[in-house]
Amino acid sequence: MDEYDVVVIGAGPGGYPAAIRAAQRGARTVIIEREAWGGTCLNWGCIPTKAMIAAGETAWAARHGAALGIRAEGLTVDYAALCRHKDATVNRLGAGVRSLLKANGVEQIVGEASFVSHGRLQVQAPGGSRWLAARKVIVATGSESAMPSLIPSAPSVVESRGFLARTALPPRLLVLGGGYIGCELAGLAAMLGSEVTLVELLDDILLLLDPDVRTEVRRSMERHLNIRVVTGCRAERVDAGEAGVRLAAGGESFEADLLLVATGRRPVTRGLAAERIGLAPDEKGFLRVDGRNRTAVPGVYAIGDVNGGPQLAHAATSQGLIAADDALGHRTPPNETLVPGVIFTHPEVALVGVTETSAREQGRSIRVARFPYAALGRAVAGGVAEGFVKWIADPDGRLVGAAAVGARATDLISEAALAIRAELTADEVGRTIHPHPTFGEIWMEAAHVLAGHPVHVPPSRKSAG
Amino acid sequence: MPHAVAMPKPGQFTEECTILKWHKREGDPVAKGDILFEIETDKANMEVESFYEGTLLKIVVSEGGTVPVQATVAWIGQPGEAIPAAPPPPLAPPAAPIPPPPAAPAPAGPVVPAAPPMPAPAPVAPALAPAASAPATTAAPARLRISPRARRRAREAVIDPAPILGSGPGGRILERDVMAYLAAQGYDRLRISPAAKDLARREGVDILRLRGSGEAGRILIEDVRRAIAERPRPMSRMRQVIAQRLTQSFTTTPHFFVTVSADLTDLLKHRRRLKELGEPYTVTDFIAMAVVLALREFPDFNARTDGRQVWTFSKVHLGLAVSLDSGLVVPVIRNADDLSLRELHDTAAALVEKARAGKLTPDEMTGGTFTISNMGMLDVENFTAIINPGEGAILAVASTQETPVARGGTVEVRSMMKMTLSADHRLVDGAAAARFINAIRKRLEDPAVWRAWA
Repeated sequence: MDEYDVVVIGAGPGGYPAAIRAAQRGARTVIIEREAWGGTCLNWGCIPTKAMIAAGETAWAARHGAALGIRAEGLTVDYAALCRHKDATVNRLGAGVRSLLKANGVEQIVGEASFVSHGRLQVQAPGGSRWLAARKVIVATGSESAMPSLIPSAPSVVESRGFLARTALPPRLLVLGGGYIGCELAGLAAMLGSEVTLVELLDDILLLLDPDVRTEVRRSMERHLNIRVVTGCRAERVDAGEAGVRLAAGGESFEADLLLVATGRRPVTRGLAAERIGLAPDEKGFLRVDGRNRTAVPGVYAIGDVNGGPQLAHAATSQGLIAADDALGHRTPPNETLVPGVIFTHPEVALVGVTETSAREQGRSIRVARFPYAALGRAVAGGVAEGFVKWIADPDGRLVGAAAVGARATDLISEAALAIRAELTADEVGRTIHPHPTFGEIWMEAAHVLAGHPVHVPPSRKSAG
Repeated sequence: MPHAVAMPKPGQFTEECTILKWHKREGDPVAKGDILFEIETDKANMEVESFYEGTLLKIVVSEGGTVPVQATVAWIGQPGEAIPAAPPPPLAPPAAPIPPPPAAPAPAGPVVPAAPPMPAPAPVAPALAPAASAPATTAAPARLRISPRARRRAREAVIDPAPILGSGPGGRILERDVMAYLAAQGYDRLRISPAAKDLARREGVDILRLRGSGEAGRILIEDVRRAIAERPRPMSRMRQVIAQRLTQSFTTTPHFFVTVSADLTDLLKHRRRLKELGEPYTVTDFIAMAVVLALREFPDFNARTDGRQVWTFSKVHLGLAVSLDSGLVVPVIRNADDLSLRELHDTAAALVEKARAGKLTPDEMTGGTFTISNMGMLDVENFTAIINPGEGAILAVASTQETPVARGGTVEVRSMMKMTLSADHRLVDGAAAARFINAIRKRLEDPAVWRAWA
């Protein structure tokens, strides 16, 4: 039986960085992946959707480029070519993960791992079973789409992974679920030419966002992408056949060629036999951990979607590095609590730290300053003058939260995250010279608004909140 | 000619008072009997009425100001009348800290002479300075000798310049002293987040005194907030008085302690019966009565000493410690040895109610000869108390607890209450204390005794 210092189960965005960090710390490390290197993020999530959204944005910009003098008549989308680009991207990055693991001396095993006893694992692989002895185990098994029970199994019903595997775009797409996955996929399908309807049970889409931010997204989805957004609407019945699907919800009947179900994800622990080492998932299936991702069983860690923290690739990566360090006895601060969120809708949305809504719920006093893209030279010149950013500061002037909705919001949020984590004040961001003309200037402008002396918006619209 | 409004003297031992709140503003008409302002003495808060009619021309002592009694705090007269030019009264800084007690034994300072009227004990050390003239250590920077440039440097660096040794004339701190101090303190190595520095500057927190919890010891806003939350706060006048008196007592009186368990089973039954008959006596009433009777038998415990002379009191003025949210007060039942159980009960109840309402006058809180501190309602097995200055002993009464007790060869569950006597060893010895506290216990345990009371 082979003995390892660290065994990582799952090679997603949490697991493979954990394995690399462990190997760099000098540990004998093995990583076990049952399906695809890079996990959901790289294969069926973040990365392939970005390939398709890039295509969607390009097509949409071409169709709506008249104001900039661009006329694209007879524009068509070659979906098969797009899928080739998507698959090539995934393959290239997946190979990159494997070569990085190899370059760091991490052993790679394809197979399905399960606990045999404390410190003992079995890996079932196509070529036969292997047994491993492990000092430390990092569980990074991720999550999968959860299908509500009323959804029948049919070719015309898919979840996000099935949607990305299709080789053709449905003329009419029905999306069930107004979370970020549903909204992103609805948007890309609409930009590529589908007629899209989105049905959400709750009162609005993207409820983790402040109302002003999500209203901006919803308005754009409805007005620019012609997506029909139906909220506060409970799905009652789904009839699915070969050719199409019918959804009865909220007293209305929705028909489409394809139903995409994006109602949530659930952690993956089946097959792990975690009970053999006394590791019990909670009632929702998560492996609960402490601030350094330690489970209740000594030497066993859980990172990423499986541990019930934020279900975001970058959170998993950060946790993986912390878990590897802690497992190998390197003093490490606990998990970062400032986790930015990005949503690739049209327009993009991003947020970090405290939201206005959460501050109000906690009875926390805050100051808020917004700055519109419409007052930003670069955005106006680029024909993308919709949206805004906002800073949320505590009464001391410390920046505690930020949100952006508009072009490049997902890239812009990093400056806000850095400023908040470094405990910068609005005054300091305002005094930092930002290059002109760029989108990045918008944080400086909003900081001026917060300080009460804006340059590029009328002073009457100063900080509110 | 306008009338001067004087700070009243609410108690015969009160030296100074603090104005808590003005109920009238300058220019307001004032009638006789109108409440002018509210004061805080070392013992209590009270409202002060006007003796004069007219207009409040000028407030001399604003809210928070502390002045000696009889000092002018305001002027009342006719609008337009000139106010006589007079130097403003010596203002004490609000809540000036009391200086630490001197190492040598000191008699009760003039702030709170707790002892009843009597020949003053011969001082063996200089009397404590009244709080009003105590140096205000927290206000020290106001008198710091420092050049403007040095002060600006310190402010920019967000540090307190007070510890810096000045090299200028008369020890004046110069800019170069600040720079040398910063270098010596390793200021350049200090890491602090901008928001934390901003907050420290606004709140006057010396960042050299902070320990950073961030990466590589970087000072974060939480560290500054913690420092602000942990900053010393001035004690209330009441707590300062408690601190001063109890420190004085505990450090100058050689305490010793004797504990007994009293069996209250029968007394509690008797008390319940009385209650059913509409006579709601408290356990404290019975204990007070037993103490008063025992004190008659053992007058050495109704006495005080300074180590050279002994004063034995001919009357029992019984103090009852009452816990308030803001501190501890000890109202005194005068001539408790003249009172029946009923009278003791009524007097105690009235005093406790006044204490809870914050309405005790200073004279109602001085002159005790022996004190009872009852924590019976607070579920404690036993505790010891500190003797009130000016007295010779104190009785600490704990909770009554159901306890298995050996009686007549079998184990019974009885309602047992522990009492601990703290006594001044200069006055009395252990054997006397044992006899005295057992005399109290026997009275509580003997039905023949308390049936005669009620």
